[in-house]
Amino acid sequence: MNKAFAQGGVIIGVFIIILWVSNQINWMELLKVDKVTQDTEEKLGDILWDVFRKAEREIKDKEAINLLDSVLLRICTANNIDRSNLKLHLLDKDEINAFALPGGHLVIFSGLITACENSDELAGVIAHEVAHITENHVAKKLAKEIGFGVVTSIAGGTAGAEIIKEAARVLSSSAFDRAIEKDADIKAVDYLVEAKIATKPFADFLYKRSLDDDDLMNYISWISTHPNPEERAQYILEYGSTKSFDPTPSLSESAWAQLEGSIGD
Amino acid sequence: MIAIKTFDYNPGEHETERASNSYLMSLIALMGGLPLPIINLIATLVFYLGNRTSTYFVRWHCTQALISQFSLLLINSVGFWWTVSIIFDEEVLTNQFIAYIITLLLFNIAEFIATIYTAINTRNGKHVEWYFYGTVTNLICKP
Repeated sequence: MNKAFAQGGVIIGVFIIILWVSNQINWMELLKVDKVTQDTEEKLGDILWDVFRKAEREIKDKEAINLLDSVLLRICTANNIDRSNLKLHLLDKDEINAFALPGGHLVIFSGLITACENSDELAGVIAHEVAHITENHVAKKLAKEIGFGVVTSIAGGTAGAEIIKEAARVLSSSAFDRAIEKDADIKAVDYLVEAKIATKPFADFLYKRSLDDDDLMNYISWISTHPNPEERAQYILEYGSTKSFDPTPSLSESAWAQLEGSIGD
Repeated sequence: MIAIKTFDYNPGEHETERASNSYLMSLIALMGGLPLPIINLIATLVFYLGNRTSTYFVRWHCTQALISQFSLLLINSVGFWWTVSIIFDEEVLTNQFIAYIITLLLFNIAEFIATIYTAINTRNGKHVEWYFYGTVTNLICKP
C-alpha cells in the first residue's frame, strides 16, 4: 500500500515539475498569441462591418462624427483605453441600437441619438459598448452563439455570405448573457465616473425605455434584447451612487443640439 | 516506468488476445471519443465489467488498463473544461493554460506509447507492469 502511495506521489510530482518547467516559457510571446488573436479579430470585424456598411447608409457628416468622437475620446482618455484601437461608425437607421463588433468596431444607429434626451445618456450607452470591447465579450459571444468553427471560417474567408449575415445579426440584435451584460453595465459606470460624466442619465435612459409600449419595443433592439432594463437601471443607480465626483456634461448643450441637428438632416 | 515481469502462470493464446484488447479498447475509444475525455474511461470500464469473471491474466490487464485511464480522465477533464471556458466563457488565454495543455499532451503521448507497447507485448504473452498502475492493480486484483 505504502509503495502505491509513494509511486502515486512520484507521478504527481513529475506532473507538477513538467507543468512548472513549461510555465517558465513565455508561450504567449513565442507563439505570438496576442498578435494572431488581434489579427483574427480585426479580420473578422472588417468582414462583419462590411455587411452593415453595404446594407445601411453610413453617416459621414464630419460634425456629427467629431461630436460623437469627442464623447468616446473622453471616456477612452480617462480610462487609459487606446482610442486608436476603436473604430466608430454612425449608421442612418431609426432603430434604437448600438453594438460592438470584433476588432474594436463600435456601431451606433442614428435612432439611438434621437432617443437620448441628452449627451450623458448617449455616453452611458457608448461606455457600455466600449466595455464589451475592452472585456473581450464580442468574439466570445459569436463563438457561443454560432460556434467556434464558424467564427474561424469567417475569419479565414471560407464562410458563405449567409453565415456572415447571421453572425452580423447575432451581434447587432441579440444580447450577451445576463452576467456579461451586468459586467458591461458596471464597467460602463466605472468608465463614466473616471471620465467625470454623470451616471444617472444612463440609468434614466434604461428606465424610460422600460416604460415604452410593446409595439415601440420592437424598434428598440438595444433594450428589448438586453436583460430587464428596469432592473439594470436600478443596479446602475445603486452602483453609481457609491461613487462621489463632480460630473460635467459629456457635450455642451449647444454641441448636443448640433449633433441632434446633423442627425436629423 | 514500464517493466516486463513474470506472471504467476503462462497465459494461453485466448487470454493474451483478450488482455491485449483491453488496451486497444482505450486507444480506439480515445480516437473516436475526442475531445470528450470520459469516453476512453467508459470503454475500458465496459471491457473490464465484461471480463470480471475471466481468467486472472485477463482480469489483471483489464484492471491496469482501467486504472491507467483515471489519471488521464482527471488531467484531460481539467484541460477540456478550461478550454471550453476560454472559448465560451469569461476565461482568457494565458501562459498557464498553454503550459497546462503542453503538459497534458506530453502525458497523453506517454500514455499512448505505453498503451501500444503494452498491447503488443501482452498479445505476445508477456506480462507488462506499469509504474504505479501495476502496483495498484496488484493490490486490487487477486488470483
